[in-house]
Amino acid sequence: MLPNRSRLSVLVFLLPPLLLYGAAVLFPILQSLVLSFFSWNGISDMEFVGLANYVRMFTGDDIFWRSFFNALGYLAICLVLQLGGALLVASLLTSLSRGRELIKTLYLLPAVISTVAIAFLFVRIYSIDPVGLLNQVLQWIGLGALERPWLSDINTVLAAVSVPEGWRFTGLYMLILYAALLSVPLELEEAARLDGASRWQLFTKIRFPHIRPVWITTTIMATTYGLRGFDIPYLMTNGGPGQSSELLTTYMYKTAFTSTDFGYASTISVFIVVECLAAVGLILFMLKRKADA
Amino acid sequence: MTAQAAPITRPVMTSPDSPPPLRRRRKPSLYGTLSKVLIALIVIVQVYPLAWLFITSLRTEQDFATGDPFALPKSLTWDNYARAFETGNLGMNILNSFIVTMGANLLIVLLGMMAAYALQVLGFRFSKVVRGLFLIGIIVPVQIALVPLFIDYSTINLLDTYPSMIIPLAGFALPMSIYLFSSFFNYIPRETYEAASLDGAGPYRIFGLITLPLSVNTVVTVVLVNSIFIWNDFIFANTFVLSEELKTIPLGLQNYIGAMGKTDWTATFAAVCVTITPLLLVFLVLNKAMIQGLESGATKG
Repeated sequence: MLPNRSRLSVLVFLLPPLLLYGAAVLFPILQSLVLSFFSWNGISDMEFVGLANYVRMFTGDDIFWRSFFNALGYLAICLVLQLGGALLVASLLTSLSRGRELIKTLYLLPAVISTVAIAFLFVRIYSIDPVGLLNQVLQWIGLGALERPWLSDINTVLAAVSVPEGWRFTGLYMLILYAALLSVPLELEEAARLDGASRWQLFTKIRFPHIRPVWITTTIMATTYGLRGFDIPYLMTNGGPGQSSELLTTYMYKTAFTSTDFGYASTISVFIVVECLAAVGLILFMLKRKADA
Repeated sequence: MTAQAAPITRPVMTSPDSPPPLRRRRKPSLYGTLSKVLIALIVIVQVYPLAWLFITSLRTEQDFATGDPFALPKSLTWDNYARAFETGNLGMNILNSFIVTMGANLLIVLLGMMAAYALQVLGFRFSKVVRGLFLIGIIVPVQIALVPLFIDYSTINLLDTYPSMIIPLAGFALPMSIYLFSSFFNYIPRETYEAASLDGAGPYRIFGLITLPLSVNTVVTVVLVNSIFIWNDFIFANTFVLSEELKTIPLGLQNYIGAMGKTDWTATFAAVCVTITPLLLVFLVLNKAMIQGLESGATKG
C-alpha cells in the first residue's frame, strides 16, 4: 500500500473500471437471473412465472436436451483437437532442432482469422458440388464411399461444425503448452534418460507432472470456450438440419431473438453459466486431486 | 518425404575436410523422422486451407465451379476483387472495425491499468472481493449478457451505435487486462514508490510519472491480444447493430452470402482476403510480441 494514498484516490482509480464492468458484465448477469423467472416477449408486460421456465426447460423441452447433448459432443471434439493436438505438437516441437519459431507462427495463423471467414471456408471444404477439399481427398485415398454433403447429413453435421472451432484454436493452446514444456528443467530430463527412462516414461513421469498447473489452466480455458461456442455452428448451419447441430448457445440465441421469448432465453443462459461454473469446478477437482495423490 | 530425410545427411556436406569418424553420429532415429513428418502434416492441415482461400480468390468463376479444388488455377484474375468491392462496403466495414477495435482497446488499457493500480499498488481492505468479482468475467460466457444488454440498450436508445459494441467487448476483456497489468505492477519495486512518496508525490503523480511510462510493453501485449478478438467479434455486432453504415467486417462479409440467391464464392473469398489482411499483417510483423502476449495471458491468468 502506498503510504500517502487517500480513500478518494482509491475510488478515483477503481470506480471507472468497476462502472464499465458492472454495466457490461455484472448487472446483465443479475438481470438474466431475474428475467429467468419471468415470461416476457419484450412488448407486453412482464409476467412473473416463478420456476415455470426452469420446469419447462428440464422436463418439457426436448430441443433443450438435444442441444445440451450436442453441446457436450461439440465440446468433446473441440477438447480432443485443441488439447490433444496442442500437446502432441508441443511435445514434437521440443525435439525439433530448427524452424520452431516458423512453425509456431504458422500454427497460430487460423486464430487470427474471423469466424465468419472460417465458416465460409469450411462450407466450401465440406461441399460436394462442386466437390470440396475433403471429398476430393477421400476420393484420392480410395474412400470415395464416404463422400457426402457433410453439412446436410444429420449423422456428420455436429462433427462437421465442431472441427473448425477445434482447428482454429489448437495453435493457441500449443503455444501455451510449448512454453510450459520448455520450462521443464533439463537436468531432470537428463537424469531420467541416464536411468534408462523411455520417451513415454519421460513424458508421463517428468514432463507432464511439471506442466500440470498450466495444463489445468488450458483445460479450463478450452472447456469454457468450448461451452460458449456459437459463431461457427450458427453461421454454418444455424443449428440445422432439424436440430442436429443445435447447441445451447444457438438455441438460446434463437429463443431470444427469433422467438423473442426473453424470459425463457434467460433461463437457458443461466443454465449455460451454471454449466460453465460446474465444469470449472469439476476440472479443478479432478486434476488437483490427481496431483495430490 | 525426401525433404524430411535431408537433415540427417547434411553433416557430410558441411565439413568435407574433417574426417568422417569424428562427426557426431546420430542414429537416424525413427522417432525423429516420424515426428518431423507428423509436424509437417499438421502444419499443412493448419495452413493449406488458408492458402487455398487465397488461391481461390484469384480463380475465374468457371474454373472454381468445374475444376478439381486442389488444382492450380488455369489463369489468374483480379476480377473477383473488383466484384468484391462493388458488391459490399468493404472500406466502410474495415473503418468500422477499426473504430470499434480502437475504442474498445482504449477502454481496456486505460481502465485495466487504473483498476490494477488500485488493486495492486494502492491496495484497500476489500481488494480480494473486487478481484473475485473480476474473475467472474473470465469464466462466464458472453452470451449471458446478450438479452439484458439488448433490453437495456433499447430503453436508453443505444442500440445500433458504436458504443453498443464497444461496451461489452471492453467489459468482458477487462478482467484479463487487469490481471496482466497487476502481475506486471508486481515487478515494479516497492522502493520506487516509497521514494517517490517521500518526495511528496501523491497517488496521481506516481501513476502518471512512474507506473504509466513503465507499462508500455504490457500495453502492447494487451492491445495485440485483445485486437484479435475484437476485430473478429461477431456475436455482439450481430446482436446490436442493424444499419449498414455501422456494420463491422464480420457482418459485412455475411452480406456476400446468398443475398442474391446464388453465392458468388470467388468474390466472397476475395472479400475475405481483403478483410483478413490488416490483422494478418500486424500479426506477421509483430508475431513475437503477440505470441509472448498470448503465452503470458494464459500462464498468469
